[in-house]
Amino acid sequence: MLSNLSRLASNVVRSNLRTLTTTQKLNHDALFVHRDTKDDNLDVKFEFTAENKKRAEAIVSIYPVGHERAALLPLLDLAQRQHGWLPISAMHHVADFLNLPKMRVYEVATFYTMYIRKPIGKYHLQLCTTTPCWLRNSDAILEVIKKKCNIEVGETSEDGLFTLSEVECLGACVNAPMIQINDDYYEDLEAKDMEQILDDLKAGKKPAPGPRNGRFASEPINGLTSLTTQPNKPGYKCRPDL
Amino acid sequence: MAKLIGLDKLANYFRVIKHNGGILGSIKTLLRTDDLKFGTLVGVDKLGNKYFENNLYFYGRNRWVVYHEKFGLNYDGSLVPSEWYGWLHYKTDYLPHEDPGRPKHKWMIQDWSENLSGSDKQYVPYGTTRTKVEGWTPPK
Amino acid sequence: MLRGPLTKALPCARILSPVKTLSTSAINNEKFEVFIDDKKVMVDPGTTVLQAAAMVGVEIPRFCYHERLSVAGNCRMCLVEVEKSAKPVAACAMPVMKGWRVKTNSEMTRRAREGVMEFLLVNHPLDCPICDQGGECDLQDQSMAFGSDRSRFTDIDHSGKRAVEDKDIGPLVKTIMTRCIHCTRCIRFASEVAGVDDLGTTGRGSDMQVGTYVEKLFLSELSGNVIDLCPVGALTSKPYSFTARPWETRKTESVDVLDAVGSNIIVSTRTGEVLRILPRLNEDINEEWLADKGRFAYDGLKRQRLLTPFVRNCQGQLIATEWEDALIAVAQKLQTSEIAGVVGSLADAESMVALKDLLNRLGSEDLYTEYPFPLEGSGTDLRSSYLLNNKIARVEDADLVLLIGTNPRFEAPLFNARLRKGYLTNELDVGYIGPKVDLRYDYEHLGESTDLIKQLASGSHAFSKKLACAKKPLIVVGADLLSRPDGAAILALVQQLAAKVTTDANVSSEWKVLNVLQKAASQVAALDLGYKPGTASIRDKKPKVLFLLGSDEGTISRGDVGQDCFIIYQGHHGDHGASIADAILPGAAYTEKQGTYVNTEGRAQQTLTAVSPPGLAREDWKIIRALSEIIGEKLPYDTLLEIRDRLGQVAPHLIRYGELEEANYAEQATELAKGVSSNLSSEPVDVKQKNLEDYYMTDPVSRASGTMAKCIQAVHKQKQSKYYEEAVN
Repeated sequence: MLSNLSRLASNVVRSNLRTLTTTQKLNHDALFVHRDTKDDNLDVKFEFTAENKKRAEAIVSIYPVGHERAALLPLLDLAQRQHGWLPISAMHHVADFLNLPKMRVYEVATFYTMYIRKPIGKYHLQLCTTTPCWLRNSDAILEVIKKKCNIEVGETSEDGLFTLSEVECLGACVNAPMIQINDDYYEDLEAKDMEQILDDLKAGKKPAPGPRNGRFASEPINGLTSLTTQPNKPGYKCRPDL
Repeated sequence: MAKLIGLDKLANYFRVIKHNGGILGSIKTLLRTDDLKFGTLVGVDKLGNKYFENNLYFYGRNRWVVYHEKFGLNYDGSLVPSEWYGWLHYKTDYLPHEDPGRPKHKWMIQDWSENLSGSDKQYVPYGTTRTKVEGWTPPK
Repeated sequence: MLRGPLTKALPCARILSPVKTLSTSAINNEKFEVFIDDKKVMVDPGTTVLQAAAMVGVEIPRFCYHERLSVAGNCRMCLVEVEKSAKPVAACAMPVMKGWRVKTNSEMTRRAREGVMEFLLVNHPLDCPICDQGGECDLQDQSMAFGSDRSRFTDIDHSGKRAVEDKDIGPLVKTIMTRCIHCTRCIRFASEVAGVDDLGTTGRGSDMQVGTYVEKLFLSELSGNVIDLCPVGALTSKPYSFTARPWETRKTESVDVLDAVGSNIIVSTRTGEVLRILPRLNEDINEEWLADKGRFAYDGLKRQRLLTPFVRNCQGQLIATEWEDALIAVAQKLQTSEIAGVVGSLADAESMVALKDLLNRLGSEDLYTEYPFPLEGSGTDLRSSYLLNNKIARVEDADLVLLIGTNPRFEAPLFNARLRKGYLTNELDVGYIGPKVDLRYDYEHLGESTDLIKQLASGSHAFSKKLACAKKPLIVVGADLLSRPDGAAILALVQQLAAKVTTDANVSSEWKVLNVLQKAASQVAALDLGYKPGTASIRDKKPKVLFLLGSDEGTISRGDVGQDCFIIYQGHHGDHGASIADAILPGAAYTEKQGTYVNTEGRAQQTLTAVSPPGLAREDWKIIRALSEIIGEKLPYDTLLEIRDRLGQVAPHLIRYGELEEANYAEQATELAKGVSSNLSSEPVDVKQKNLEDYYMTDPVSRASGTMAKCIQAVHKQKQSKYYEEAVN
């Protein structure tokens, strides 16, 4: 009797499941409207430091008179470097600095993905997972970071040091797999390299950027395969009288 | 034979005139009711309306009421009291005082009340829609 | 604010700018020929493909392109094939070259449009049945005309279309942002015409959305126009939402009377109710814009209305009566010659001439308008003293405007929009005397002192040099300023200044330097008809009967005329006038009568009857005509045509509708003004409407409007917000 009941109930559930359709929510990882949060609101004051102010003025002076708004991108970048990320009050400060309507600044700040509009760790780990890096096993690097920092993609580690992002091609395919940490590229990575980099960063040291397999840049690993000799001198195979 | 040449019609004609109180009376009735009939008086109600019946007329026209003169031309169907309503509308063939099965509830012996339709006291259902234009009311 | 200096700085941007007529700014004026669908057309250099096509009557579909806004070129709907071009080109942004053959109906064009349409529709909700834009939607129309008849959009996994959260941008504009197709017309309008840079696009790619980014209301006196601009149902009218479909409504062409600009409007009505008001194209006045008060105050026409005549009984209470009783009661009181009449800001010329005729027959000459105007000097005898002589449209051509004691942004928003257009596209500089206000463009603030006018007139002020150098200078004086006690002295000074500027700058006689910006729609017609400005003399005369024709500004109160004065109020709203009246005669509002109004530049226009007056209310001139018959002084006109004949006798230009009657004799007025003896007071120049919240309620209609009340609330709410910004100026 009871089993009958449960079967009946499961039937009801199943038939409802078949008729119940919902729309999948398409969530982007970034929100393109501003919401006041604890870290990001107008009460958080932002102002250029004296040093950065000088820099900002120098940046603005590059552009011709009447076109100061062109300095918007570098100034937003400057603000982001000063604060670590770009809060709304920093956008306002830049807007006031350039005498721009605030909306024009929001437009730019939301358009470019490298302006980060929410709090972020001290080190922004941007791991490339596009095809060449992926073929060279970027997945292993990703695993190392996830395990070592105990974070998923898009999260910040508890100590506030690391934020992990998966990014598309950063243009260093010859040195795949690679990761960009803040401004530096770390290339030709293997799992153990990644671990070491993270350890160094945690210890407060700055690991040397560049390829990790002994290359200087993107040259062949076993020495040059072409252009091994010096180019011929001028007059090579010319008539002597010329 | 008399029927053949319509003498009975003529006789009825005279009966009608007589029933309505002569030529003048007939003209008066015609004015009030647009109809001239003759029949037996079967009863008078508490308002003084007279009820007639004559089966010479076909069904539907063989029972009628002549309202009391005090109403003049200003009469309407609501002047028929509830006890006469059934007989007049062929719900029953018993006259009110002859009807054995007629229930006698309190609510049935209500006083007659006037039909207020068309007067300024008529019932108007209130609307629930908002007026399109709100008027100004002077401050008190 | 920002895009202005940019366009100013780039000369080439001005050639491409659609706002400007291309023939004047182009360097090379030689026309050349291009072919649109094999039809030859001669065009100026810099003409876009779309404009060239329009010249031969070929309409190219578009969403983002709008004649009065800058070119964005982001909707791609206007793609057309150009011979020998591998790819289709965007017609709205591409200037035609000599000898181009444009094919607007070829296979390539057709397929390009179908493709664009398909992409737009993939992320557009299929909610036309519940969308307020339905029936007047560009996307609907163009998908019918140019879209494919098949859809490749299948959503078998219910993965969903793009969805965007709605924004709260104020009490007037409702947003359903999922419907947005990112044409950016609203953004460009806000930034270019309204001068409020609050709208923009945030995000990128398929996540791009139009909005304010932060929680902020889009508050502008012109905000309603984005509803008309929006080609889809993303921005719709909040008060009109879910009210009617456009094909159900009856449209009546009329004129807005809530300011003195006289914007042309279309009144949409259904079942005897005004449902909405839309602007009507008139290049000389409002182009295709309409200010928010004119657009949204219509719900005030349904509230606080006078539906029956009222007469005060012996207990001192106003009691609703029939017309007969009211007219007889009024007629009994009117058997005297000690009558004064005051006309309000919304009175039409017909009723004003009828009232004037009636009172004149009764032996009274005391007919006044509510707003004072100096009577010394030429007074109101010469029209040039009280008109915006230089025409509203020609303001764009000016290169220097001096505003004195007026805030055009709120007194005449569309006039201010013209000024801003001149500021953006024509290097217009603005000087301003008055309290600091936000005009939505930069101006040189000269100060608040009346002394400045004196200095300018004598040429001792620094700004005088600018005035002298200007090629097309304008001086705009606010009517409010002239209504001050020392208005005559100010007007005399300004006339002197205008005369000086005229000679200094050596402007042509066509160009009128002196302009007065009126605030009330009835004022010019009243002065043309011979009404005396201002109610001050009523206070001295203490008439026995006071006839208020829709005067609600509170310029005259019960205390001014005494308790025994019998006050008759004729008008359409229970406002200030009705509350002090002893007898009230309900008249018709501007949507309910065929009336003549003259705008601030002196252009006579007429309103048409869109709905019938509510309740027992009647057309105003008919009431006065009926009253005259009861008094025994029957006025000799029974029909509208007859009273308009009478109007024509008094002032012929009042019945030449749509035409502008120019005023002359400015020189004579200046000469007469020299005799003005009154002195300039030291009181600083002030304007009444300083902030946005002062804009919304200025007359009986807008004071009764719930929508306008909500607007004021919204402005106050905005001021509480942290994201509120004070004006930059």
